[in-house]
Amino acid sequence: MIEVRNLSKYYGSLCAVNGISFSVAEGEVVGFLGPNGAGKTTTIRILTCYQPASGGGASVAGHDVFTDSMAVRAKVGYMPESVPLYHEMRVREYLKFRGKIRGLPGGQRQRAIGSVVERCWLKDVVDRPIGQLSKGYKQRVGLADALLHNPPVLVLDEPTIGLDPTQIRATRSLIRELAQDHTVMLSSHILPEVEAVCQRIIIINKGQIVASGTPAELRERITGDSELIAEIKGPIDVVQAELKKIADVSGVHGETRDGWTRVSVTTQKDVREAIAALAADKKWPLRELRRDVATLEDFFVKIVAAARDVDPLLTEKGDK
Amino acid sequence: MRNTAAIMQRELLSLFFSPIGYVVIAGFLLLTGVIALVTDSFGPGKPATLRRIFDFTPYVLTIIIPAISMRTISEEYRSGTIESLTTAPVSDTQFVIGKYLAAFIFYAIMLSGTLVYLILMIKFGNPDIGASLAAYFGLLLVGVSFTAFGVFTSSLTKNQIVAWMLGMVPLMLFVWFAAFIIGAVEGKLRLAFQHVNIMRHLDLFNRGLITAESVVFFLATAVLFLFFTVKVVESRRWR
Repeated sequence: MIEVRNLSKYYGSLCAVNGISFSVAEGEVVGFLGPNGAGKTTTIRILTCYQPASGGGASVAGHDVFTDSMAVRAKVGYMPESVPLYHEMRVREYLKFRGKIRGLPGGQRQRAIGSVVERCWLKDVVDRPIGQLSKGYKQRVGLADALLHNPPVLVLDEPTIGLDPTQIRATRSLIRELAQDHTVMLSSHILPEVEAVCQRIIIINKGQIVASGTPAELRERITGDSELIAEIKGPIDVVQAELKKIADVSGVHGETRDGWTRVSVTTQKDVREAIAALAADKKWPLRELRRDVATLEDFFVKIVAAARDVDPLLTEKGDK
Repeated sequence: MRNTAAIMQRELLSLFFSPIGYVVIAGFLLLTGVIALVTDSFGPGKPATLRRIFDFTPYVLTIIIPAISMRTISEEYRSGTIESLTTAPVSDTQFVIGKYLAAFIFYAIMLSGTLVYLILMIKFGNPDIGASLAAYFGLLLVGVSFTAFGVFTSSLTKNQIVAWMLGMVPLMLFVWFAAFIIGAVEGKLRLAFQHVNIMRHLDLFNRGLITAESVVFFLATAVLFLFFTVKVVESRRWR
């Protein structure tokens, strides 16, 4: 549905997007993840025909974004990051206007407005001026607008930014629902956001794709030791010594708390079974045994941190 | 066509929703009212003609028309709505023409407020109706041309006030100081300036003369500036 080939975008001498390629299949929900200033919005703006690319190409629903821009625009529902709306208009008027410029004829337009108002929970505010609405409602108006012509492709730039937790949850479930009959591409700089709704994640940093895959695939790429936590009632020295004897254990660190020995075991494999067997064998009571799996968050933070080490300027920008 | 109409309708709606729209109409009617008073057009024993009012109206329009058109495109830039508009299937030409037509229709509605002078004149005197209608036609053509220029300056900046100034100052040079400028140059340049002298064209209309040269002059400037506007809007994508 979306095909990006070697896409680049320069603003003057600043390179915002540097030769990225990816594709999104029909019906997929893809999350575009990256820290602020990574090039997410730029890529999205090229895909939605707002800006032309400096190099490379892209096509959406089989139409090239540069040479066949009108066809692309007709097939894409786009919610820009800032959700720009005409504040002096009422919600219904605005949706009517958007329906008109999308070429929906009268009757169909009425039905479309009715259905998006229902879907985006706008019923209570449909006759109120947009300027009076809260941020959450404005966001929903933007979403309703993107859905109005029932486009096969939905592009949402930071759809949940600035919303309160309930609204975020509601928006997420709406996106999941939309994913059933739309191809969705959404961007975010918050990982759990993307993890919660997307089948596939593309991580972008400094204009380049640094990782892409399903959340499970990405987790697998997090190499290195994992950590096991165990709480055992036994003398700390003996416990530590015995644990070190288990195969594949590279480090043991223990401390005593209320008569219990809490050890963290660094290992390359999952040795929980061996620890449980050891405790049973020695008749030590065991009250906790768990594995700390590195999360995608760690992975993401690692990538972003790596970028910051390289470029101190980016840190300053990011902090502001 | 449908897109142009939709954009025009929306723009007109927001012109009538914004206080600026009413301030502009009130300012225009106030100023023309002052002109009617100062020129003593309705004084007893004066000839029944609106010519003195029409003579001065273009000076007012140099300020008023850029004020009508200043927000058309700059406001889209400022609020970011240009992004949702130009990612919808609307061409840049449809967008610019829609904005332009809205500003022009607003101007025409505002101008129709001065018809009350003509009605009063007909009721209490015997004015030359043909010449008055020609003068109105001339003012509409001024609107066609000035509005295009105003929409053009609005496309240059995201700040309405800057757009207003950019529109007002050149128009003032053309209308208020045209006579001085023409007097200051000689030869071919003078001839060229005389041809683009808006006041000379308007004077013909006020005398009841509708000439092809004047009509073409105003329409051509409008087309030229609308073309520039489309190019400016297009070029912003490349930055």
